[in-house]
Amino acid sequence: MACAASTDPAPGQFDLDAPWQLAAQVSLRPEAFGALLYHFGTRQLSFLKSPALLAVVSSLGTQPSARAACAAAGVPAGDTVQYARALATLAASRMICRREGP
Amino acid sequence: MADSPIPDLTDETAAAPDGDEIAEDVLVEEVSIDGMCGVY
Repeated sequence: MACAASTDPAPGQFDLDAPWQLAAQVSLRPEAFGALLYHFGTRQLSFLKSPALLAVVSSLGTQPSARAACAAAGVPAGDTVQYARALATLAASRMICRREGP
Repeated sequence: MADSPIPDLTDETAAAPDGDEIAEDVLVEEVSIDGMCGVY
């Protein structure tokens, strides 16, 4: 599914309640430390340095919101801000993008 | 003898980055491979 019109947030201004997905041009490879993302358009690599963040990013496309993806991955409520910051970084580099619809 | 040859490190210590600031983005690290040579 294509990304919705660009709404890249500034870091720290990530909409946790919006639906997100991995960008179509991004390949994700699980690693022992978490995962490696490669964007074929920007030729950027992102290292996800946590298996929990891998679980969050992997489930973004099937969850109604990023907050739901965090909850489904077992992220404690108190850590949500840290994960939102990580997702904001990924959105700013176009690794993830907003999904149209819920 | 007012001037000491030993530098005062107090200011440098005060300017050290805050630990919390470093920890903020540890979940994601980004690298661009533009300009790197290799087999694609």
